[in-house]
Amino acid sequence: MAGTLRLGFDVGGTFTDGVLMRDREVLAKAKALTTEDVTTGIINALDELLKSSGVNPAEIGMVSLGTTHTTNAIIERRNLNKVGIFRLAAPATTAIPPLTGWPEDLKRAIGGPEFVHIIRGGSEYDGRDIAPLDEGAIAEACRKMKGKVDSVAITGVFSPIIPKHEERAAEIVRDVLGDEVHITLSHRIATISLLERENSAILNASVITVMRRAVESLKEAVKERGINAPLFIVQNDGSVMSADYAVDYPIFTVASGPAASVRGAVYLSGIEDGVVVDIGGTSTDVAYIVKGFPRESSITVTIGGVKTNIRCPDLLSIALGGGTIVKHKGEEVVALGPESVGYNLVRLGKAFGGPLLTVHDVAVAKGVLTERLDVFKTDFVTHPEKIEALPKRLVENAWAAIKATLEEAIDKMKTTAEPVPAIFIGGGALVVPREGIAGVSKVLSPEHFEVGGAVGTTIAEIGAYAEGVVDLEREDREEAIARVIEQAKDNAAAAGAIRETVEVMDIEEIPFTYMPGKREKIRVRVKGKIFA
Amino acid sequence: MGVREILAEWGVKEYRRIDKRALAEITLGASILATGGGGDPEIGLLWAYNVVEQGKEILLVDPDDMPDEALATIAGCLGAALVLTEKPPNGQELFWCYEALGRYMGKPVQAVVPPEAGGVNTPVPMAVAGAVGVPVIDADGMGRAFPELQMTSFYIHGVSPSPTVAADEKGHITIADTTDALMAERIIRNAAMAYGGISWIAGYPMTGKQLKETAILRSISLAWELGRRVMEARRRHRDPIQEVISLTKGYRAFQGKIVDINREFGAEKTKGFSMGRITLEGIDDFKGHTAAIDFQNEWLTLHVDGEVRCMPPDLICILDPATGEPIRTDVVKYGYRGVVVLIPAHERMRTKKGIETFGPRYFGYDYDYVPVERLMGD
Repeated sequence: MAGTLRLGFDVGGTFTDGVLMRDREVLAKAKALTTEDVTTGIINALDELLKSSGVNPAEIGMVSLGTTHTTNAIIERRNLNKVGIFRLAAPATTAIPPLTGWPEDLKRAIGGPEFVHIIRGGSEYDGRDIAPLDEGAIAEACRKMKGKVDSVAITGVFSPIIPKHEERAAEIVRDVLGDEVHITLSHRIATISLLERENSAILNASVITVMRRAVESLKEAVKERGINAPLFIVQNDGSVMSADYAVDYPIFTVASGPAASVRGAVYLSGIEDGVVVDIGGTSTDVAYIVKGFPRESSITVTIGGVKTNIRCPDLLSIALGGGTIVKHKGEEVVALGPESVGYNLVRLGKAFGGPLLTVHDVAVAKGVLTERLDVFKTDFVTHPEKIEALPKRLVENAWAAIKATLEEAIDKMKTTAEPVPAIFIGGGALVVPREGIAGVSKVLSPEHFEVGGAVGTTIAEIGAYAEGVVDLEREDREEAIARVIEQAKDNAAAAGAIRETVEVMDIEEIPFTYMPGKREKIRVRVKGKIFA
Repeated sequence: MGVREILAEWGVKEYRRIDKRALAEITLGASILATGGGGDPEIGLLWAYNVVEQGKEILLVDPDDMPDEALATIAGCLGAALVLTEKPPNGQELFWCYEALGRYMGKPVQAVVPPEAGGVNTPVPMAVAGAVGVPVIDADGMGRAFPELQMTSFYIHGVSPSPTVAADEKGHITIADTTDALMAERIIRNAAMAYGGISWIAGYPMTGKQLKETAILRSISLAWELGRRVMEARRRHRDPIQEVISLTKGYRAFQGKIVDINREFGAEKTKGFSMGRITLEGIDDFKGHTAAIDFQNEWLTLHVDGEVRCMPPDLICILDPATGEPIRTDVVKYGYRGVVVLIPAHERMRTKKGIETFGPRYFGYDYDYVPVERLMGD
């Protein structure tokens, strides 16, 4: 590692935040407007950090970011790859072919049904072949899609348990289509549940180029500035993966930004169990943290209209931010948002002489804002007379409505009746009520809370998981679990962690329902350090 | 012969056409009535969507309009829910079942009746009826979901599951023909294991007369209405739980967060089911109270502060308070919040033979069945 300094960036809806860290110390922080291409905003924040800190770029040892590149590409159907789709499953599964239930425009954007093939192959849960893999059919299909697809997604029945058919199919695809066509194997992406895993693999294959370009341009920008450090991307569970790994698994970054915020909140506050409330300009994300990581979402996660089983933090997003418009009739509050003035707060908010009452203005009126945050260029109020003119009852009603909205969101995410600590971070952390929040033991906003997400990207822990199916009649439970732990550690090491530092986060056992015998699925989650 | 010809022969003029929206509504309603089990209904729903998209018609016919002598069978699947999720069907399995059953019995099947108004076995028979070209009868054999082949209103009122045919995606066929319904269950479950975890089944052949005398009538309409009302409530931001309760004459028995999931892993070996108990800590109106729910694939019994409040065959549903979406036993996790809704079982499920077949004692509880209405103090 070239140096001990770490750069971190967090791309939000309004701002891209950046920090420069030494150990736990924040040396510099910056906020730049988020740009349409995302990358330019990051580079702007980077330049500001280098300028304000004056550090020698050679001292920087790690660059990491939480990003919205892939999410935006999928949602906007922009710059997506044409994807060759193989399912190894026939004669099973053909009643529900690949892309069933996908939005038409997204289907078209990735090439449509022309490149979809259901091939004989796949496995039974006990390891038998459904059918021997039809290698000739794969080669034939590849010859037909040559020159027409950018990437290939391969999904085999029960591949999370028995990956051999997916791996063999990949060899054939590479033989015919060459190295320039990227290959996604479903068992590396997600778990049991064929259709959702296949969707996840296809979406992953569709954003390979988007992620590759983002990583390449950032690497180049970093290098041009004399920084010789590896690049890391925050993944959905809040840990990071190397950028080179992210190029192969971009789908793991769809919740990158919010996940980084959670990690930052944990890191800055030292609290590992509680609620994280990240308040931005347009929205607030609430997450419940267990042992320092966000709890996972239990239900299927829909990305761009497609159901996936990608692991994502269980986040509750509500339309409440500093720029959220407070709608009122006289002194009565009618609604909070959902509209926000975003970064136009400084033109449209009452505190800046504008026509609209926002959450920020209510905070100014309540007197809770007393100083300007370094990262914001403007003062928090330029027209105090506009604020003084607000009816007292309206201010109190609005304040109560904001508090009730926050309390409801926090209560929804909590899993314990006891009060838990709440960490308020983000640029809007100071503009909401913090006293007497129901269900909360205390509200903290640790130093640098306003760039908590960017700090969260610099933590340097890699997360990974593994699964295995065992028959407890034939295999000892302890041995089976130990075997899955080793697999998870291998996966973490493959993602860039130092193997000796990898520790187990969670072990889950899931029995096979409706089946005699003692078969069960064991799932292990681990994390490990990038630095010793 | 197609579905239209069958209806013409029966002289049926009134029926309901099941389109994609109806399928989504019926499937949601059936998921709620599945009492936490019944398998992932998404597989059946997507399959049925594809059948409709191919231009096939799925027509729902009232049981009274089915001639007494016409032949109906169930269609669905039996086995491991996880295998179904990973290895969906090719759509031919149930054709082969029907072919084999027709050959074995020497007469064609003219209608499909869903085995369960709950889980995947509600949309699957719709998809099959559409694909095969026969009507779906507005009825089922449980009014809910249960784990075993013999746990139906058909069986307890005298219809034998035999012959029942099981097939897999390669066309392997097993025919169980026995006077012993429990033996039929064992044969079909063992076929499922040999097939890799799932049997696709057609069986319980019955005449229109038998169906009318033994089935839970118009339960598909009930599931449909239930799904429709819950979706409407979501759109209008009304309380979906209240919709469920008012339509099913149910009870809001508890609201809480799941604070413990204790799975009895040994049960897979001894009984072939997922068993266990979840504990909920009360919230809102139920603060300070604790609920325990036992499960065997489906939710079985509810105890609140140690007092029993519901036992099989009455229904226990755990629903998301915001969306009304049911929480399943195979995916339940620590931290879920849910409302526990109790629904009285259909009267046809509450006979002496019914309580013997799927009452609390069959499931190993040392107490007699008491209807949920009495337990809830009505």
